Amino acid sequence: MPSMTPTARTEFPLAGTLAAAASAFAIGLRRNFANWPVLMGRALFYLVAMTVLSSLWDKVSSARLAGTLASSLPAGGLTLYIGVTEWIALGVAAIHLRLEDDIRFGMLEPHLLRPKSYLVQKIAECLGDTLGRMIGIGAAALIALGLSGRALPPPQAFLFAVILGIFAAAIGVLLYTVVGLCAFWVRRVLPPYLLMQKAMFLLGGIFAPISLYPAWLYRFAMATPFAPSLFVAGDQMIAPSAASFAQALLLQAAWIAILSGLIALVWRAGLRKVLREGV
Amino acid sequence: MDALTAYAANVAAAIRASLMDRTNFALNAAGMVVNDLFFLTLWYMFFAGFKRIGGWGLHDVALLLGILMCIVALSGIAFGGYRDMAASILRGEIDALLTQPKSVLARLLARESIATAWGDLVIGIWMLCTFAALSWRDIPLVTIGILCGTAVYVASSVIYASLAFWFAGARSFARELTDFMLLFSSYPGSIYTGMTRIVAYTLLPAGFVVLAPVSFLRSPSVATLAVMLASALGYTALAAVLFHLGLARYRRGLVPTG
Repeated sequence: MPSMTPTARTEFPLAGTLAAAASAFAIGLRRNFANWPVLMGRALFYLVAMTVLSSLWDKVSSARLAGTLASSLPAGGLTLYIGVTEWIALGVAAIHLRLEDDIRFGMLEPHLLRPKSYLVQKIAECLGDTLGRMIGIGAAALIALGLSGRALPPPQAFLFAVILGIFAAAIGVLLYTVVGLCAFWVRRVLPPYLLMQKAMFLLGGIFAPISLYPAWLYRFAMATPFAPSLFVAGDQMIAPSAASFAQALLLQAAWIAILSGLIALVWRAGLRKVLREGV
Repeated sequence: MDALTAYAANVAAAIRASLMDRTNFALNAAGMVVNDLFFLTLWYMFFAGFKRIGGWGLHDVALLLGILMCIVALSGIAFGGYRDMAASILRGEIDALLTQPKSVLARLLARESIATAWGDLVIGIWMLCTFAALSWRDIPLVTIGILCGTAVYVASSVIYASLAFWFAGARSFARELTDFMLLFSSYPGSIYTGMTRIVAYTLLPAGFVVLAPVSFLRSPSVATLAVMLASALGYTALAAVLFHLGLARYRRGLVPTG
Protein backbone atom coordinates (compact mmCIF):
# COMPACT_ATOMS: atom_id res chain seq x y z
CA MET A 1 0.00 0.00 0.00
CA PRO A 2 2.09 2.95 -1.22
CA SER A 3 -0.19 5.54 0.41
CA MET A 4 0.28 4.04 3.87
CA THR A 5 3.51 5.26 5.48
CA PRO A 6 5.17 3.29 8.31
CA THR A 7 4.32 6.16 10.68
CA ALA A 8 0.65 6.00 9.84
CA ARG A 9 0.65 2.25 10.43
CA THR A 10 2.21 2.71 13.85
CA GLU A 11 -0.25 5.42 14.80
CA PHE A 12 -3.27 3.53 13.44
CA PRO A 13 -2.70 -0.19 14.05
CA LEU A 14 -6.18 -0.98 12.71
CA ALA A 15 -5.32 0.64 9.40
CA GLY A 16 -2.15 -1.47 9.22
CA THR A 17 -4.11 -4.63 10.00
CA LEU A 18 -6.68 -3.81 7.33
CA ALA A 19 -3.97 -3.06 4.77
CA ALA A 20 -2.28 -6.39 5.54
CA ALA A 21 -5.64 -8.16 5.32
CA ALA A 22 -6.31 -6.51 1.95
CA SER A 23 -2.93 -7.76 0.72
CA ALA A 24 -3.73 -11.29 1.97
CA PHE A 25 -7.12 -11.07 0.23
CA ALA A 26 -5.42 -10.10 -3.03
CA ILE A 27 -2.92 -12.95 -2.65
CA GLY A 28 -5.76 -15.43 -2.15
CA LEU A 29 -7.59 -14.08 -5.19
CA ARG A 30 -4.53 -14.06 -7.43
CA ARG A 31 -3.33 -17.48 -6.30
CA ASN A 32 -6.64 -18.86 -7.47
CA PHE A 33 -6.16 -17.44 -10.95
CA ALA A 34 -2.52 -18.56 -11.00
CA ASN A 35 -3.79 -22.12 -10.41
CA TRP A 36 -6.17 -21.75 -13.36
CA PRO A 37 -6.18 -25.46 -14.31
CA VAL A 38 -7.58 -26.27 -10.86
CA LEU A 39 -10.09 -23.42 -11.15
CA MET A 40 -11.21 -24.73 -14.52
CA GLY A 41 -11.49 -28.19 -13.01
CA ARG A 42 -13.73 -26.79 -10.28
CA ALA A 43 -15.90 -25.02 -12.84
CA LEU A 44 -16.16 -28.21 -14.85
CA PHE A 45 -17.00 -30.10 -11.73
CA TYR A 46 -19.73 -27.61 -10.88
CA LEU A 47 -21.25 -28.23 -14.29
CA VAL A 48 -21.12 -32.00 -13.79
CA ALA A 49 -22.71 -31.70 -10.34
CA MET A 50 -25.41 -29.43 -11.75
CA THR A 51 -26.14 -31.87 -14.53
CA VAL A 52 -26.76 -34.63 -11.99
CA LEU A 53 -28.73 -32.49 -9.52
CA SER A 54 -30.88 -30.94 -12.22
CA SER A 55 -31.66 -34.39 -13.60
CA LEU A 56 -32.69 -35.43 -10.04
CA TRP A 57 -35.12 -32.53 -9.74
CA ASP A 58 -36.30 -32.74 -13.34
CA LYS A 59 -37.16 -36.38 -12.64
CA VAL A 60 -39.07 -35.42 -9.48
CA SER A 61 -40.83 -32.53 -11.26
CA SER A 62 -41.77 -34.60 -14.30
CA ALA A 63 -43.24 -37.41 -12.18
CA ARG A 64 -45.53 -34.98 -10.28
CA LEU A 65 -46.75 -37.81 -8.05
CA ALA A 66 -50.16 -37.06 -6.55
CA GLY A 67 -50.19 -36.27 -2.84
CA THR A 68 -46.50 -35.27 -2.77
CA LEU A 69 -44.66 -31.95 -2.55
CA ALA A 70 -43.91 -32.18 -6.27
CA SER A 71 -47.00 -30.08 -6.91
CA SER A 72 -45.51 -27.20 -4.83
CA LEU A 73 -42.32 -27.01 -6.89
CA PRO A 74 -41.89 -23.85 -9.01
CA ALA A 75 -42.86 -24.17 -12.67
CA GLY A 76 -39.28 -23.95 -13.91
CA GLY A 77 -38.10 -26.56 -11.40
CA LEU A 78 -35.32 -26.05 -8.88
CA THR A 79 -32.35 -26.01 -11.22
CA LEU A 80 -31.65 -22.26 -10.88
CA TYR A 81 -32.05 -22.41 -7.10
CA ILE A 82 -29.60 -25.29 -6.85
CA GLY A 83 -27.32 -23.55 -9.31
CA VAL A 84 -26.92 -20.70 -6.82
CA THR A 85 -26.58 -22.85 -3.68
CA GLU A 86 -23.99 -25.11 -5.35
CA TRP A 87 -22.12 -22.05 -6.64
CA ILE A 88 -21.80 -20.84 -3.05
CA ALA A 89 -21.04 -24.26 -1.53
CA LEU A 90 -18.31 -25.03 -4.07
CA GLY A 91 -16.92 -21.51 -3.87
CA VAL A 92 -16.14 -21.56 -0.14
CA ALA A 93 -12.41 -22.23 0.33
CA ALA A 94 -11.34 -25.02 2.68
CA ILE A 95 -9.99 -22.79 5.46
CA HIS A 96 -10.53 -25.55 8.02
CA LEU A 97 -7.86 -27.72 6.35
CA ARG A 98 -5.32 -24.90 6.42
CA LEU A 99 -6.01 -24.15 10.08
CA GLU A 100 -5.90 -27.84 10.96
CA ASP A 101 -2.51 -28.20 9.27
CA ASP A 102 -1.01 -25.16 10.98
CA ILE A 103 -2.32 -26.08 14.42
CA ARG A 104 -1.61 -29.84 14.20
CA PHE A 105 1.91 -29.53 12.84
CA GLY A 106 3.00 -26.71 15.16
CA MET A 107 3.28 -24.19 12.32
CA LEU A 108 1.15 -21.68 14.17
CA GLU A 109 3.70 -20.61 16.76
CA PRO A 110 6.12 -18.77 14.42
CA HIS A 111 3.18 -16.66 13.21
CA LEU A 112 2.40 -15.54 16.75
CA LEU A 113 5.68 -13.61 16.89
CA ARG A 114 4.74 -11.55 13.83
CA PRO A 115 3.06 -8.14 14.08
CA LYS A 116 -0.08 -9.03 12.11
CA SER A 117 -2.86 -11.27 13.37
CA TYR A 118 -2.44 -14.77 11.98
CA LEU A 119 -6.17 -15.46 11.98
CA VAL A 120 -7.19 -12.22 10.26
CA GLN A 121 -4.58 -12.86 7.57
CA LYS A 122 -5.78 -16.43 7.05
CA ILE A 123 -9.45 -15.46 6.87
CA ALA A 124 -8.71 -12.59 4.47
CA GLU A 125 -6.65 -14.90 2.26
CA CYS A 126 -9.46 -17.47 2.21
CA LEU A 127 -12.05 -14.81 1.40
CA GLY A 128 -9.92 -13.80 -1.60
CA ASP A 129 -9.58 -17.44 -2.57
CA THR A 130 -13.35 -17.86 -2.25
CA LEU A 131 -14.07 -14.84 -4.43
CA GLY A 132 -11.69 -16.17 -7.09
CA ARG A 133 -13.46 -19.52 -7.08
CA MET A 134 -16.86 -17.86 -7.27
CA ILE A 135 -15.81 -15.76 -10.27
CA GLY A 136 -14.54 -18.85 -12.12
CA ILE A 137 -17.50 -21.08 -11.25
CA GLY A 138 -20.00 -18.25 -11.76
CA ALA A 139 -18.70 -17.56 -15.27
CA ALA A 140 -19.06 -21.25 -16.15
CA ALA A 141 -22.56 -21.28 -14.64
CA LEU A 142 -23.72 -18.28 -16.70
CA ILE A 143 -22.33 -19.73 -19.94
CA ALA A 144 -24.02 -23.08 -19.23
CA LEU A 145 -27.27 -21.33 -18.34
CA GLY A 146 -27.18 -19.35 -21.58
CA LEU A 147 -26.65 -22.55 -23.57
CA SER A 148 -29.29 -24.55 -21.68
CA GLY A 149 -32.24 -22.56 -23.01
CA ARG A 150 -34.01 -22.61 -19.63
CA ALA A 151 -36.48 -19.85 -18.80
CA LEU A 152 -34.67 -17.08 -16.88
CA PRO A 153 -35.90 -14.98 -13.95
CA PRO A 154 -35.78 -11.14 -14.24
CA PRO A 155 -32.26 -9.57 -14.37
CA GLN A 156 -32.51 -8.10 -10.85
CA ALA A 157 -32.82 -11.67 -9.51
CA PHE A 158 -29.27 -12.34 -10.72
CA LEU A 159 -28.00 -9.11 -9.15
CA PHE A 160 -29.63 -9.96 -5.80
CA ALA A 161 -28.39 -13.55 -5.94
CA VAL A 162 -24.80 -12.50 -6.70
CA ILE A 163 -24.65 -9.94 -3.86
CA LEU A 164 -26.29 -12.29 -1.35
CA GLY A 165 -24.18 -15.17 -2.67
CA ILE A 166 -20.91 -13.36 -1.95
CA PHE A 167 -21.98 -12.56 1.62
CA ALA A 168 -23.31 -16.10 2.00
CA ALA A 169 -19.89 -17.46 1.04
CA ALA A 170 -18.30 -15.14 3.62
CA ILE A 171 -20.56 -16.70 6.26
CA GLY A 172 -19.47 -20.12 4.96
CA VAL A 173 -15.80 -19.16 5.39
CA LEU A 174 -16.50 -18.02 8.97
CA LEU A 175 -18.39 -21.24 9.78
CA TYR A 176 -15.51 -23.35 8.46
CA THR A 177 -13.08 -21.16 10.42
CA VAL A 178 -14.88 -22.26 13.60
CA VAL A 179 -14.46 -25.85 12.39
CA GLY A 180 -10.75 -25.32 11.71
CA LEU A 181 -10.19 -23.84 15.17
CA CYS A 182 -11.55 -27.08 16.68
CA ALA A 183 -8.06 -28.45 15.85
CA PHE A 184 -6.95 -26.90 19.16
CA TRP A 185 -9.01 -29.57 20.92
CA VAL A 186 -9.44 -32.49 18.48
CA ARG A 187 -6.71 -34.14 16.42
CA ARG A 188 -8.70 -34.09 13.19
CA VAL A 189 -11.38 -31.58 12.27
CA LEU A 190 -13.17 -34.02 9.98
CA PRO A 191 -16.04 -34.79 12.43
CA PRO A 192 -16.92 -31.15 13.15
CA TYR A 193 -16.50 -30.38 9.45
CA LEU A 194 -18.93 -33.14 8.47
CA LEU A 195 -21.41 -31.99 11.09
CA MET A 196 -21.17 -28.41 9.89
CA GLN A 197 -21.44 -29.50 6.25
CA LYS A 198 -24.51 -31.68 6.87
CA ALA A 199 -26.15 -28.98 8.99
CA MET A 200 -25.52 -26.59 6.12
CA PHE A 201 -27.01 -29.04 3.61
CA LEU A 202 -30.05 -29.69 5.78
CA LEU A 203 -30.74 -26.31 7.35
CA GLY A 204 -29.24 -24.25 4.54
CA GLY A 205 -31.33 -25.99 1.90
CA ILE A 206 -28.60 -26.94 -0.54
CA PHE A 207 -30.71 -29.52 -2.39
CA ALA A 208 -34.18 -28.10 -1.81
CA PRO A 209 -35.46 -24.74 -0.56
CA ILE A 210 -36.16 -24.79 3.16
CA SER A 211 -39.51 -23.15 2.33
CA LEU A 212 -40.63 -26.69 1.36
CA TYR A 213 -39.94 -27.89 4.93
CA PRO A 214 -42.60 -28.05 7.65
CA ALA A 215 -43.21 -24.57 9.14
CA TRP A 216 -41.48 -25.31 12.46
CA LEU A 217 -38.32 -26.57 10.72
CA TYR A 218 -38.33 -23.59 8.35
CA ARG A 219 -38.47 -21.18 11.31
CA PHE A 220 -35.68 -23.08 13.07
CA ALA A 221 -33.46 -23.09 9.95
CA MET A 222 -33.99 -19.36 9.48
CA ALA A 223 -32.79 -18.78 13.04
CA THR A 224 -29.43 -20.48 12.31
CA PRO A 225 -26.51 -19.13 10.23
CA PHE A 226 -27.08 -21.90 7.67
CA ALA A 227 -30.11 -20.41 5.90
CA PRO A 228 -28.33 -17.05 5.35
CA SER A 229 -25.32 -18.99 4.06
CA LEU A 230 -27.25 -20.70 1.23
CA PHE A 231 -31.03 -20.41 1.07
CA VAL A 232 -31.49 -16.64 1.02
CA ALA A 233 -29.34 -16.28 -2.10
CA GLY A 234 -30.92 -19.21 -3.94
CA ASP A 235 -34.41 -18.06 -3.03
CA GLN A 236 -33.95 -14.95 -5.19
CA MET A 237 -34.07 -17.27 -8.21
CA ILE A 238 -37.52 -18.50 -7.16
CA ALA A 239 -39.13 -15.38 -5.72
CA PRO A 240 -36.96 -12.30 -6.34
CA SER A 241 -37.93 -9.13 -4.47
CA ALA A 242 -36.15 -6.03 -3.20
CA ALA A 243 -37.78 -6.42 0.24
CA SER A 244 -36.60 -10.00 0.77
CA PHE A 245 -33.19 -9.00 -0.60
CA ALA A 246 -32.81 -6.19 1.95
CA GLN A 247 -34.05 -8.41 4.78
CA ALA A 248 -31.62 -11.18 3.79
CA LEU A 249 -28.73 -8.72 3.60
CA LEU A 250 -29.44 -7.52 7.14
CA LEU A 251 -29.64 -11.10 8.38
CA GLN A 252 -26.30 -11.90 6.76
CA ALA A 253 -24.66 -8.81 8.28
CA ALA A 254 -25.92 -9.83 11.71
CA TRP A 255 -24.54 -13.37 11.34
CA ILE A 256 -21.19 -12.11 10.06
CA ALA A 257 -20.89 -9.97 13.20
CA ILE A 258 -21.98 -12.81 15.52
CA LEU A 259 -19.66 -15.37 13.93
CA SER A 260 -16.71 -12.95 13.96
CA GLY A 261 -17.21 -12.47 17.70
CA LEU A 262 -17.48 -16.23 18.24
CA ILE A 263 -14.30 -16.84 16.24
CA ALA A 264 -12.42 -14.27 18.33
CA LEU A 265 -13.50 -16.04 21.53
CA VAL A 266 -12.64 -19.53 20.26
CA TRP A 267 -9.29 -18.30 18.92
CA ARG A 268 -8.32 -16.79 22.28
CA ALA A 269 -9.37 -19.94 24.16
CA GLY A 270 -7.42 -22.13 21.73
CA LEU A 271 -4.38 -19.94 21.91
CA ARG A 272 -4.43 -20.05 25.70
CA LYS A 273 -4.52 -23.85 25.51
CA VAL A 274 -1.62 -24.05 23.05
CA LEU A 275 0.54 -21.65 25.04
CA ARG A 276 -0.22 -23.52 28.28
CA GLU A 277 -0.16 -27.17 27.16
CA GLY A 278 1.22 -27.22 23.59
CA VAL A 279 -0.54 -29.12 20.79
CA MET B 1 2.75 -62.40 0.53
CA ASP B 2 5.58 -60.55 2.23
CA ALA B 3 4.12 -57.25 1.01
CA LEU B 4 0.68 -58.16 2.36
CA THR B 5 2.12 -59.06 5.77
CA ALA B 6 4.01 -55.77 5.88
CA TYR B 7 0.84 -53.91 4.87
CA ALA B 8 -1.21 -55.66 7.55
CA ALA B 9 1.44 -54.79 10.17
CA ASN B 10 1.39 -51.14 9.07
CA VAL B 11 -2.41 -50.97 9.21
CA ALA B 12 -2.47 -52.65 12.63
CA ALA B 13 0.01 -50.05 13.89
CA ALA B 14 -2.11 -47.24 12.39
CA ILE B 15 -5.27 -48.59 14.06
CA ARG B 16 -3.47 -48.83 17.40
CA ALA B 17 -2.27 -45.24 16.95
CA SER B 18 -5.83 -44.06 16.23
CA LEU B 19 -7.00 -45.80 19.40
CA MET B 20 -4.27 -44.24 21.56
CA ASP B 21 -6.20 -41.10 22.39
CA ARG B 22 -9.45 -42.71 23.57
CA THR B 23 -11.38 -39.45 23.99
CA ASN B 24 -10.45 -38.25 20.55
CA PHE B 25 -11.31 -41.62 19.05
CA ALA B 26 -14.75 -41.67 20.73
CA LEU B 27 -15.40 -38.07 19.66
CA ASN B 28 -14.51 -38.85 16.05
CA ALA B 29 -16.54 -42.04 15.83
CA ALA B 30 -19.56 -40.50 17.57
CA GLY B 31 -19.28 -37.41 15.35
CA MET B 32 -19.54 -39.60 12.28
CA VAL B 33 -22.55 -41.45 13.69
CA VAL B 34 -24.33 -38.11 14.16
CA ASN B 35 -23.24 -37.00 10.67
CA ASP B 36 -24.65 -40.18 9.11
CA LEU B 37 -27.90 -39.76 11.00
CA PHE B 38 -28.13 -36.19 9.69
CA PHE B 39 -27.67 -37.54 6.18
CA LEU B 40 -30.35 -40.17 6.67
CA THR B 41 -32.68 -37.46 7.95
CA LEU B 42 -32.08 -35.52 4.74
CA TRP B 43 -33.10 -38.48 2.60
CA TYR B 44 -35.96 -39.36 4.94
CA MET B 45 -37.34 -35.84 4.52
CA PHE B 46 -36.92 -36.08 0.78
CA PHE B 47 -38.88 -39.30 0.53
CA ALA B 48 -41.47 -38.05 3.02
CA GLY B 49 -42.13 -35.20 0.60
CA PHE B 50 -41.70 -36.88 -2.78
CA LYS B 51 -42.28 -40.63 -2.09
CA ARG B 52 -40.37 -42.17 -5.03
CA ILE B 53 -37.81 -41.15 -7.61
CA GLY B 54 -37.53 -43.16 -10.80
CA GLY B 55 -38.72 -46.32 -9.03
CA TRP B 56 -36.38 -45.95 -6.04
CA GLY B 57 -37.97 -45.69 -2.59
CA LEU B 58 -36.55 -45.07 0.87
CA HIS B 59 -35.63 -48.75 1.39
CA ASP B 60 -33.66 -48.94 -1.85
CA VAL B 61 -31.72 -45.84 -0.86
CA ALA B 62 -31.16 -47.31 2.60
CA LEU B 63 -29.53 -50.39 1.04
CA LEU B 64 -27.37 -48.16 -1.14
CA LEU B 65 -26.32 -46.01 1.83
CA GLY B 66 -25.65 -49.06 4.05
CA ILE B 67 -23.24 -50.49 1.47
CA LEU B 68 -21.68 -47.08 0.85
CA MET B 69 -21.05 -46.49 4.55
CA CYS B 70 -19.39 -49.91 4.89
CA ILE B 71 -17.18 -49.10 1.87
CA VAL B 72 -16.14 -45.74 3.32
CA ALA B 73 -15.57 -47.39 6.70
CA LEU B 74 -13.34 -50.13 5.30
CA SER B 75 -11.41 -47.58 3.25
CA GLY B 76 -10.89 -45.33 6.27
CA ILE B 77 -9.83 -48.12 8.61
CA ALA B 78 -7.53 -50.10 6.29
CA PHE B 79 -6.45 -47.50 3.68
CA GLY B 80 -6.85 -44.27 5.69
CA GLY B 81 -3.86 -42.57 4.07
CA TYR B 82 -5.91 -42.04 0.89
CA ARG B 83 -7.68 -39.04 2.41
CA ASP B 84 -4.60 -36.84 2.89
CA MET B 85 -2.47 -38.36 0.15
CA ALA B 86 -2.39 -35.23 -2.04
CA ALA B 87 -1.25 -33.16 0.96
CA SER B 88 1.44 -35.74 1.80
CA ILE B 89 2.76 -35.51 -1.75
CA LEU B 90 2.77 -31.69 -1.73
CA ARG B 91 4.44 -31.56 1.70
CA GLY B 92 7.28 -33.74 0.43
CA GLU B 93 6.54 -36.52 2.88
CA ILE B 94 7.35 -39.08 0.19
CA ASP B 95 11.07 -38.31 0.57
CA ALA B 96 11.36 -40.45 3.69
CA LEU B 97 9.51 -43.35 2.03
CA LEU B 98 11.67 -43.41 -1.10
CA THR B 99 14.60 -44.85 0.79
CA GLN B 100 12.54 -47.71 2.23
CA PRO B 101 12.23 -51.13 0.58
CA LYS B 102 8.41 -51.41 0.52
CA SER B 103 6.04 -49.83 -2.00
CA VAL B 104 5.59 -46.07 -1.52
CA LEU B 105 1.89 -46.27 -2.42
CA ALA B 106 1.23 -49.03 0.12
CA ARG B 107 3.10 -47.11 2.82
CA LEU B 108 1.13 -43.94 2.07
CA LEU B 109 -2.19 -45.80 2.22
CA ALA B 110 -1.36 -47.63 5.44
CA ARG B 111 0.12 -44.67 7.31
CA GLU B 112 -3.18 -43.67 8.90
CA SER B 113 -6.39 -45.25 10.12
CA ILE B 114 -9.29 -42.81 10.33
CA ALA B 115 -11.19 -42.99 13.61
CA THR B 116 -14.41 -41.62 12.10
CA ALA B 117 -14.61 -44.69 9.88
CA TRP B 118 -15.69 -46.77 12.87
CA GLY B 119 -18.80 -44.58 13.14
CA ASP B 120 -19.59 -45.27 9.47
CA LEU B 121 -19.09 -48.98 10.08
CA VAL B 122 -21.59 -49.02 12.96
CA ILE B 123 -24.28 -47.13 11.02
CA GLY B 124 -23.58 -49.03 7.76
CA ILE B 125 -23.99 -52.44 9.41
CA TRP B 126 -27.06 -51.22 11.32
CA MET B 127 -28.68 -50.04 8.08
CA LEU B 128 -27.90 -53.28 6.24
CA CYS B 129 -29.30 -55.33 9.14
CA THR B 130 -32.47 -53.30 9.64
CA PHE B 131 -33.52 -51.66 6.33
CA ALA B 132 -32.04 -53.74 3.54
CA ALA B 133 -34.05 -56.96 4.10
CA LEU B 134 -30.96 -59.15 3.66
CA SER B 135 -30.71 -62.74 4.89
CA TRP B 136 -27.70 -64.62 6.29
CA ARG B 137 -27.24 -66.22 2.86
CA ASP B 138 -26.53 -62.77 1.43
CA ILE B 139 -23.47 -62.21 3.63
CA PRO B 140 -20.93 -63.56 1.07
CA LEU B 141 -22.52 -61.46 -1.69
CA VAL B 142 -22.54 -58.33 0.48
CA THR B 143 -18.91 -58.97 1.39
CA ILE B 144 -17.86 -59.31 -2.27
CA GLY B 145 -19.83 -56.19 -3.18
CA ILE B 146 -18.26 -54.16 -0.38
CA LEU B 147 -14.72 -55.35 -1.22
CA CYS B 148 -15.10 -54.50 -4.93
CA GLY B 149 -16.68 -51.13 -4.12
CA THR B 150 -13.84 -50.38 -1.69
CA ALA B 151 -11.25 -51.17 -4.36
CA VAL B 152 -12.86 -48.74 -6.82
CA TYR B 153 -13.33 -46.05 -4.15
CA VAL B 154 -9.74 -46.18 -2.86
CA ALA B 155 -8.29 -46.46 -6.38
CA SER B 156 -10.28 -43.42 -7.54
CA SER B 157 -9.11 -41.44 -4.51
CA VAL B 158 -5.51 -42.36 -5.34
CA ILE B 159 -6.07 -41.19 -8.93
CA TYR B 160 -7.40 -37.83 -7.66
CA ALA B 161 -4.54 -37.49 -5.14
CA SER B 162 -2.01 -38.23 -7.88
CA LEU B 163 -3.01 -34.90 -9.48
CA ALA B 164 -0.76 -33.37 -6.79
CA PHE B 165 2.22 -34.64 -8.80
CA TRP B 166 1.16 -32.21 -11.51
CA PHE B 167 -0.75 -29.33 -9.78
CA ALA B 168 0.13 -27.44 -6.60
CA GLY B 169 -3.51 -26.68 -5.84
CA ALA B 170 -4.58 -30.29 -6.04
CA ARG B 171 -4.86 -30.83 -2.30
CA SER B 172 -8.35 -29.54 -1.72
CA PHE B 173 -9.37 -30.37 -5.30
CA ALA B 174 -8.50 -34.04 -4.78
CA ARG B 175 -10.53 -34.05 -1.58
CA GLU B 176 -13.44 -32.39 -3.28
CA LEU B 177 -13.38 -34.94 -6.08
CA THR B 178 -13.41 -37.74 -3.49
CA ASP B 179 -16.23 -36.06 -1.59
CA PHE B 180 -18.24 -35.61 -4.76
CA MET B 181 -17.68 -39.22 -5.77
CA LEU B 182 -19.16 -40.03 -2.37
CA LEU B 183 -22.01 -37.59 -2.91
CA PHE B 184 -22.78 -39.05 -6.34
CA SER B 185 -22.68 -42.53 -4.84
CA SER B 186 -25.41 -41.60 -2.41
CA TYR B 187 -27.99 -40.80 -5.11
CA PRO B 188 -30.54 -43.26 -6.46
CA GLY B 189 -29.18 -44.91 -9.60
CA SER B 190 -32.34 -44.08 -11.54
CA ILE B 191 -31.38 -40.41 -11.93
CA TYR B 192 -28.33 -41.22 -14.07
CA THR B 193 -29.25 -41.19 -17.74
CA GLY B 194 -27.35 -40.22 -20.88
CA MET B 195 -24.31 -38.06 -20.16
CA THR B 196 -24.65 -38.25 -16.37
CA ARG B 197 -24.62 -42.04 -16.59
CA ILE B 198 -21.32 -41.88 -18.48
CA VAL B 199 -19.84 -39.57 -15.82
CA ALA B 200 -21.12 -41.81 -13.01
CA TYR B 201 -19.34 -44.77 -14.58
CA THR B 202 -16.07 -43.02 -15.49
CA LEU B 203 -14.86 -39.74 -13.93
CA LEU B 204 -16.78 -40.11 -10.66
CA PRO B 205 -17.33 -43.85 -10.64
CA ALA B 206 -20.31 -43.90 -8.27
CA GLY B 207 -21.75 -46.53 -10.58
CA PHE B 208 -18.94 -48.97 -9.83
CA VAL B 209 -18.47 -47.96 -6.17
CA VAL B 210 -22.01 -48.66 -5.06
CA LEU B 211 -24.58 -49.03 -7.84
CA ALA B 212 -22.95 -52.16 -9.29
CA PRO B 213 -22.85 -53.86 -5.83
CA VAL B 214 -26.51 -52.89 -5.24
CA SER B 215 -27.48 -54.31 -8.61
CA PHE B 216 -25.43 -57.46 -7.85
CA LEU B 217 -27.29 -57.88 -4.54
CA ARG B 218 -30.69 -57.28 -6.10
CA SER B 219 -30.11 -59.75 -8.94
CA PRO B 220 -26.96 -61.86 -8.45
CA SER B 221 -25.57 -63.18 -11.73
CA VAL B 222 -22.24 -63.94 -13.38
CA ALA B 223 -22.62 -60.79 -15.50
CA THR B 224 -23.11 -58.42 -12.54
CA LEU B 225 -20.24 -60.14 -10.68
CA ALA B 226 -17.98 -59.79 -13.72
CA VAL B 227 -18.78 -56.06 -13.99
CA MET B 228 -17.85 -55.54 -10.32
CA LEU B 229 -14.61 -57.51 -10.51
CA ALA B 230 -13.52 -55.93 -13.80
CA SER B 231 -14.15 -52.40 -12.50
CA ALA B 232 -12.24 -53.14 -9.28
CA LEU B 233 -9.25 -54.48 -11.20
CA GLY B 234 -9.41 -51.77 -13.86
CA TYR B 235 -9.51 -48.81 -11.47
CA THR B 236 -6.82 -50.34 -9.24
CA ALA B 237 -4.51 -50.80 -12.22
CA LEU B 238 -5.17 -47.23 -13.45
CA ALA B 239 -4.44 -45.81 -9.99
CA ALA B 240 -1.17 -47.75 -9.74
CA VAL B 241 -0.03 -46.58 -13.19
CA LEU B 242 -0.91 -42.89 -12.58
CA PHE B 243 0.67 -42.86 -9.12
CA HIS B 244 3.91 -44.35 -10.44
CA LEU B 245 4.02 -41.94 -13.38
CA GLY B 246 3.65 -39.11 -10.86
CA LEU B 247 6.26 -40.66 -8.59
CA ALA B 248 8.70 -40.68 -11.50
CA ARG B 249 8.11 -36.90 -11.83
CA TYR B 250 8.63 -36.53 -8.09
CA ARG B 251 11.98 -38.33 -8.27
CA ARG B 252 13.05 -35.91 -10.99
CA GLY B 253 12.12 -32.94 -8.78
CA LEU B 254 9.33 -31.73 -11.07
CA VAL B 255 6.56 -31.73 -8.45
CA PRO B 256 5.24 -28.34 -7.22
CA THR B 257 5.05 -27.66 -3.51
CA GLY B 258 1.77 -26.66 -1.86
